[in-house]
Amino acid sequence: MSITNLLTNWSDFRQQHPSAAHPHREYKWAMSIDLDSCTGCNACSVACYAENNLPVVGKEKFAHGHSHHWMRIERYWDNDGREFADQGAQFLPMLCQHCESAPCETVCPVGATNHTADGLNSQVYNRCVGSRYCNANCPYKVRYFNWYNYPTTENVWPEPMNQQLNPDLSVRSKGVMEKCTFCVQRLRASMNDARTQGRLVIDGEVQTACQQVCPTGAITFGNLVDPSAKVGKQWKQQQVDLNIDKQPKDAEEKAAKLRGYRILEELRTYPSVMYLEQLRESAV
Amino acid sequence: MNYFLRLSVLLVGLVVSAGSYAANTVQPLTTADDLGPKVEQPFEFPHNRHAGNADKGGMEINCMYCHTYARRSMVAGIPPVQKCIGCHQSIESVRETPRIKKLFEYWEAKKAIPWKKVHDLPEFVRFNHERHIQRFVFAQNKPVQEACGYCHGDVKTMTVARRQKPLSMGWCVSCHQKDHPVDATSTKTTHGPNDCWQCHK
Repeated sequence: MSITNLLTNWSDFRQQHPSAAHPHREYKWAMSIDLDSCTGCNACSVACYAENNLPVVGKEKFAHGHSHHWMRIERYWDNDGREFADQGAQFLPMLCQHCESAPCETVCPVGATNHTADGLNSQVYNRCVGSRYCNANCPYKVRYFNWYNYPTTENVWPEPMNQQLNPDLSVRSKGVMEKCTFCVQRLRASMNDARTQGRLVIDGEVQTACQQVCPTGAITFGNLVDPSAKVGKQWKQQQVDLNIDKQPKDAEEKAAKLRGYRILEELRTYPSVMYLEQLRESAV
Repeated sequence: MNYFLRLSVLLVGLVVSAGSYAANTVQPLTTADDLGPKVEQPFEFPHNRHAGNADKGGMEINCMYCHTYARRSMVAGIPPVQKCIGCHQSIESVRETPRIKKLFEYWEAKKAIPWKKVHDLPEFVRFNHERHIQRFVFAQNKPVQEACGYCHGDVKTMTVARRQKPLSMGWCVSCHQKDHPVDATSTKTTHGPNDCWQCHK
């Protein structure tokens, strides 16, 4: 990739949310998370640690905000003065939203974070110089910085625990930013198999690690372009459109309001993750 | 002022030359003629005898007879000793030559031959053999040795394989930016994927 190519074909490398000129082709990976099913058990987070070679940083570094939970469970409490056990916790699994028009991508000084043709927000560790602009500009705060060289100096995987590391993706070293990849190593593997067999990836053929372990099946993942995919059906059913920043259904006054929403949609990030609102006791 | 300027230029020059010297002593990634380093193997495997053209004394064996995973996996694979023995136990004519003797020593000791990697990419690159073989050999009907040779050079004329191509990212991309026909008969062309996450994950 020469610099002239980079400059003349800038729009190809910095894909915005799909437009008439740049529609999604075979794939657009998307997710939906049903908060009504989520029990806040943290299995998704643990699975993510195991799948993606995330270091367990320990209590002290966690308190400093140096943790690496690509998938984290945010807790919210009902604010009506009830005591602890009856507070009514609500959980929200937060991960990289793979925005179609990602704020992190535009601020990277070295182009280390880009949009891929299949709608993923990629982070390239080799190119990252650790300016952390992307993290500053991410409204979801889902980017995590390697403040230490965890594999060597911090020794988070002492022998023989290094044997558990996933060989399909790199172990990051000090000074690079990292974030949820939608388990890109799994996506690429199944896309490769499908390509060899001359077809597209079938819905359900590929699962992200968090989806795979979710005991209540709250997470749905798939190809939004595929009309038979469950995730696309859910998006359609909830009348959430990927390409707009204000869903028309939210303006309507309906008795049975649809539950689907995307977080901070009004910032025009066009996130690829849809959440299904938790049904509250008061609403039933 | 001028004195300091000169001094700083000199210092920068020193640092740069020292740095490049240090880089050269480690192991050059790419030499001037793109040849990789000579890799010392347990014993010489004559690629030219096995895969070379018949008129030059070769057997014209398909690369994938031994590197059998190339068509269905990320890695091409090094054949197990069993594969060598499978043929060589019934080839009496070369049975007493030094290299074959060594081969049978490993076989009788039930030990794998510690071959060294010749085409070694850094661990942050994930090159996929399957995709390239499927495209060039099976979709476009290119001869295997030509398709493998895009990256591995003319292995059929070598004894011990040696890296002939730079195998750098710019070199990969130089091919991925070009349009190639989709298959043997089609006039449709397309270029290789060029988003970072294809290889760097």
